[in-house]
Amino acid sequence: MPYWYYDKKDLQTTPSFQDAISNETENRYRKEGARFIIDTGSKMDLGYNTVATGVVYFHRFYMFHSFRTFPRYITACCCLFLAGKVEETPKKCKDIIKVAKSLLTEQKFGTFGEDPKEEVMTLERILLQTIKFDLQVEHPYGYLLKYAKCLKGDKQKLQKMVQMAWTFVNDSLCTTLCLQWEPEVIAVALMFLAGKLSKFEVVDWNGRLPKHTAWWDMFVEDITLELLEDICHQVLDLYSPQTQASGGESPPPGAAVQPKNERKPLPVTPPASASPVAPVAAKLNAPTPIKNGAEKLLPPKMDMRFYPPYVYPPVPYSDYSAPPPTSMPPASLPPPPLPRPPLVFQEPPPPPRYPQVSVPPPHYFAPLRPPPPRPYFPP
Amino acid sequence: MSAESSSSSSSNSPTSVANMNNVSALFQTAKKYEELNVIGTGAYGTVYKARDLHNGGQIVAMKKVKVPLTQDGIPLSTLREIALLRQLEAYKHPNIVRLLDVCHGGQPLDREQLVLFLVFEHVEQDLDCYLKRAPGPLSENRIRSMSFDILSGVDFLHSHRIVHRDIKPHNLLVTSSGRVKLADFGLAKTYDTDMKLTSVVVTIWYRPPEVLLCLSYNTAVDVWSCGCVLAELHLRSPLLPAATDTQQLQRIFRLIGRPSEREWPADCSLPLASFPPCPAADLRALLPRAHPQAIHLIQNMLVFDPAKRLTALDCLQHPYFTDNPNL
Repeated sequence: MPYWYYDKKDLQTTPSFQDAISNETENRYRKEGARFIIDTGSKMDLGYNTVATGVVYFHRFYMFHSFRTFPRYITACCCLFLAGKVEETPKKCKDIIKVAKSLLTEQKFGTFGEDPKEEVMTLERILLQTIKFDLQVEHPYGYLLKYAKCLKGDKQKLQKMVQMAWTFVNDSLCTTLCLQWEPEVIAVALMFLAGKLSKFEVVDWNGRLPKHTAWWDMFVEDITLELLEDICHQVLDLYSPQTQASGGESPPPGAAVQPKNERKPLPVTPPASASPVAPVAAKLNAPTPIKNGAEKLLPPKMDMRFYPPYVYPPVPYSDYSAPPPTSMPPASLPPPPLPRPPLVFQEPPPPPRYPQVSVPPPHYFAPLRPPPPRPYFPP
Repeated sequence: MSAESSSSSSSNSPTSVANMNNVSALFQTAKKYEELNVIGTGAYGTVYKARDLHNGGQIVAMKKVKVPLTQDGIPLSTLREIALLRQLEAYKHPNIVRLLDVCHGGQPLDREQLVLFLVFEHVEQDLDCYLKRAPGPLSENRIRSMSFDILSGVDFLHSHRIVHRDIKPHNLLVTSSGRVKLADFGLAKTYDTDMKLTSVVVTIWYRPPEVLLCLSYNTAVDVWSCGCVLAELHLRSPLLPAATDTQQLQRIFRLIGRPSEREWPADCSLPLASFPPCPAADLRALLPRAHPQAIHLIQNMLVFDPAKRLTALDCLQHPYFTDNPNL
């Protein structure tokens, strides 16, 4: 049976790389393709499972083919088309193409050729063969909800944390995390991140055993803090203008490729030499993103239909100098008990499009209720 | 490197039409396998014995299924069923035949149909051959262990909401160590569309009354078929062979007795009166060598009303098995 997890080295020597496409460019193609699937899917009212399945197909496909051979947007359409059928939310091929056309520039839509539907239908077979008919894909969403149910604590804060983690899972589709780690691991890591950022500290949980040192020990064995942080950084990098610079010059060597944890599927722990300090340090030295100018440096394109505006991007509260709200811990509290540099962005650039982010924390969260109507949210 | 995506896509990405034809080599993946000979031709396609050229020449069984394509490509039902088969495979149930690979062959640009290859582990013989080759009656322990294997496999399918619909000795594979594995399930909907294209006779000896009477059916159909197979393990010949649907029903009623007016389903188009009244036969006389608990189990599997039939799980918990733990 096919095995779909790769270590970082495999992810750097992909068919595209061997086809003279740099890792940075490939990552951008992957991100654009994934984002396009999300946008198309949401415009067609497809649920998060279908969209996520389509994106996973997309990432797997390009572990076997080059972006040069298969233009990304048509592959993306085909992945969504197939995912729709597999998840029993089928959409007609011609309707997907119609939406794709509305979302793409004329030039990009040009890659669909003269008979776009025929292209997608032909590609369906190549896609099926490439993903080895391994059609059923699991996603972190279900695990996220399952794990959250076990956590004890303030219901509202828990809900906020879940909401934020859910958004991170959505965004993680734009990374290659689904090619590196099982959905269980991703769910744990992004809940961990959301917990840090929303200041929801899990002190107790249902099913706790004496051997558990953290809540996730109950769900995934042998998961290390280094691994969790590495996963979190891969998602946070989406929001950092450096790797986000889709329009800019090539980033400095090594900047786009996350160092350096040799990853193996669980339960292998990363080697001791792996240090999560490095990526953070690298970021600290990065140019101040906001001055990097131009609309190209906008944070990841945000889909308003998917995300409640105020949740996104997850700005670290630790950087706020505004007076703490009564509901928040006083600023004088010790920093979160992270042994490593805390998982915050060095520079949290509130995107010009979302000035709301700069309001003090209470308002930051207020618009979260009632829960958004979209199917992309936890039930 | 030009970083503007639109410019790079025009410079890096050739137009796709030409490209896809160039990669038609991708369709040749069925060449991973070398066909050796035809094992069997069923209602739904041909099964070949083949050699896996990429895995040390291991022998596999390749089932070729022709899937008619629709307006929107490969039918949803086929994709769902393949997805489910692959998902089941993760459990590696000991009484389910291993699905090693799925691939497709045929003409890449054929708009009419897709030729699908399901690659299974190859098991030398099926239960039909096994019983024919058996020099004499099977031992009580062998029968019990084979019965348990069959029901375990069926219970596994049912717990994943799969109805096999065609359990018969031909679809039960016997490994060299005497374990039984279920094969040929999970593509019921794919077959339905495909069946119109074939004219192969399908055996009806293992069909329950509700299927013969064209009523709605559920997992209980498999329990009926298993009941027939379990009896066959004792008999070494089919319990209820008949040539037509009507004869099959008559045959069944001669064994279990014609149902009463009260038991006869209201939505059945055939009147009960079309069958001559007859009492139930004595299964003990038919299977003289069988363990009394085996008789009891089979009797409770061959029940006219599907709702009153044991479930596969009930069967596994029957004293026939639980009183004899040395399976």
